[in-house]
Amino acid sequence: MLKMTHLSKVYRTEVVETYALRDFNINVKEGEFVAVTGPSGSGKTTFLTIAGLLETFTGGEYHLDGVEVSKLDDNARSKIRNEKIGFIFQAFNLIPDLNVFDNVEVPLRYRGMKSAERKQRIMEALERVGLASRAKHYPAELSGGQQQRVAIARALAGSPRLLLADEPTGNLDTQMARGVMELLEEIHREGATIVMVTHDPELAARAQRNVHIIDGQVVDLSEDPRFHAAHAAADQAHG
Amino acid sequence: MKLHPMIAALRKHKAGVVLIALQIALTLAIVCNAIFIIGQRVERVGRPTGLDEGNLFVVSQQWVGAPSADTPDGVAKLDAMLKEDLATLRSLPGVASAAPINSLSLLNSTWAGALSTKPGTNFTDRGSNVRTAYYFTDEQVLPTLGLRLVAGRNFNAADVQNHGFREQFTYPVVIVTQALADKLYPKGDAVGKTIYVDGSSSPSTIVGVVARMQTPAVGWGDNFAWHATLVPVRLDANFTRVAVRAKPGQLEAAMKATAPALYQVNRLRVLDDDSVRPFTDIRAKAYRADVGMAVLMGVICLILIGVTAAGIVGLTSFWVGQRHRQIGVRRALGARRIDILHYFQMENLLIAGAGAVIGIVMAVGLNMWLMSRYEMDRLPVFYALIGVVAVLALGQCAVFVPARRASNVPPVVATRAA
Repeated sequence: MLKMTHLSKVYRTEVVETYALRDFNINVKEGEFVAVTGPSGSGKTTFLTIAGLLETFTGGEYHLDGVEVSKLDDNARSKIRNEKIGFIFQAFNLIPDLNVFDNVEVPLRYRGMKSAERKQRIMEALERVGLASRAKHYPAELSGGQQQRVAIARALAGSPRLLLADEPTGNLDTQMARGVMELLEEIHREGATIVMVTHDPELAARAQRNVHIIDGQVVDLSEDPRFHAAHAAADQAHG
Repeated sequence: MKLHPMIAALRKHKAGVVLIALQIALTLAIVCNAIFIIGQRVERVGRPTGLDEGNLFVVSQQWVGAPSADTPDGVAKLDAMLKEDLATLRSLPGVASAAPINSLSLLNSTWAGALSTKPGTNFTDRGSNVRTAYYFTDEQVLPTLGLRLVAGRNFNAADVQNHGFREQFTYPVVIVTQALADKLYPKGDAVGKTIYVDGSSSPSTIVGVVARMQTPAVGWGDNFAWHATLVPVRLDANFTRVAVRAKPGQLEAAMKATAPALYQVNRLRVLDDDSVRPFTDIRAKAYRADVGMAVLMGVICLILIGVTAAGIVGLTSFWVGQRHRQIGVRRALGARRIDILHYFQMENLLIAGAGAVIGIVMAVGLNMWLMSRYEMDRLPVFYALIGVVAVLALGQCAVFVPARRASNVPPVVATRAA
């Protein structure tokens, strides 16, 4: 589904070159739920932005759903983002001027979908996240957890092949975070491929597979005792 | 592109939207009427008088110590002096012909009256009379002014009389302009027909019709501007005016030779710098106010358009800055650059469209007010439509740069902290 090989991302200024990702290799299979962890500045978000075609990379190869994306122009990248990728952002990134229905509709409109199909998909997505009754509400009228659910509905409405979540519970309290996480797990059980970037080892432990990034490279977690401790804590919490 | 979410979003920015829409409306209302006024002025300034303007100049002078025009003897002397001047001018090498004339097109010194096809009418009654300006002249008037005879004949020497300036006299024969002939005799058979001047019972015969000659009054509207009547009478007074037609390419030389030649004949006269004027100078002076008004209106239009464009650029730039992250989110969700560009263009089209609708109403209202106060014509629909297209195009041009800047916002902005 998602395969990066020897990928690098370099930020250059006049005096310095900074490697955000270096010889980065990852392979996410269809239907996997992968958590990407790592300390601040390790390159997690850079990985996610490149994976989501929000940014270009400097070297290496990236295949998304069998397509080598480095040669794609801006329009083709937009099309892939629109049709194959669903984004869930830490800050929800709902458009404050639009109500819930219109927010969920945004990516569908860019796809040129017919009105009736759009409406059906939007209502299905909102029902799935339990917010069908709030379709006419504006983001400011919803709690943080509800806003993130709307963002998830927006990501799901387009039936993407890949869901990319950037700290999806980062702005939520524990109870709301749990609800969002359960929703992601449910979506995964239904067959979605999810890549989630998180700081939280407990959340990461609930994913099917963990990828740890340090200094822009994937490291082997089997040698990291913190990982085993987090897994044990997560298992205990879920009984 | 679906408009409902866009309108919903605009409703969240009511103040900015209303202000810019009103600015567009005001611009449309003023620019429509201003362009209409400019169009009218330009059309008025560009009207041909019917004269050979390029080769024509006018000599206006005053006698010093001249005999009185109120006595037959004085009139005879004044007429002899005028005839001597005419002979002098006609003999100048650069002069093609010359004719005495009391006034001239655009000279703003009008001898006005009214003609009727019936005798003894009340000449202030517009129903039975047609307003006209009289030109008192002689048999050389047609070649001198370059007037084109379209029916009948020119005056001959026998038609020409002379009278004192304040004398009462009849007009046995006249030449009228085509516009006046059509008004008096709509069937087109004016030549040989009788008319009555200023409510009199003395008949005058139309002996000829000229294609076109404008009246002296610049302010006369199109209804009367071409109602001129030529009368074969040399008016004798202590001042004279002679129209002189120079040979092609010799206008300047002929004008230069005029004053010395006339002084040589008789030094007892006043010929100052303005006494010998080319017709182009008369035209420029006559339409100075119109040209000034057109320029002023043009400048006002440009300023208004500039301010409105700046307002649109400013507001859109502000919105682009304010919605920077939102644009990034849209890009992340699959919007192409062109979608973002179109979004801002469509948003502007909605605002400008609303402004245009209000502006049309304001333009018509302003036009009606101007009609009631300043005798302005009704604003043609064409001008209103042009105005609408212009403000919509202005909006699109003004919004393009900030909209393009918006379209260049990268999608990665969506992941950055707010």
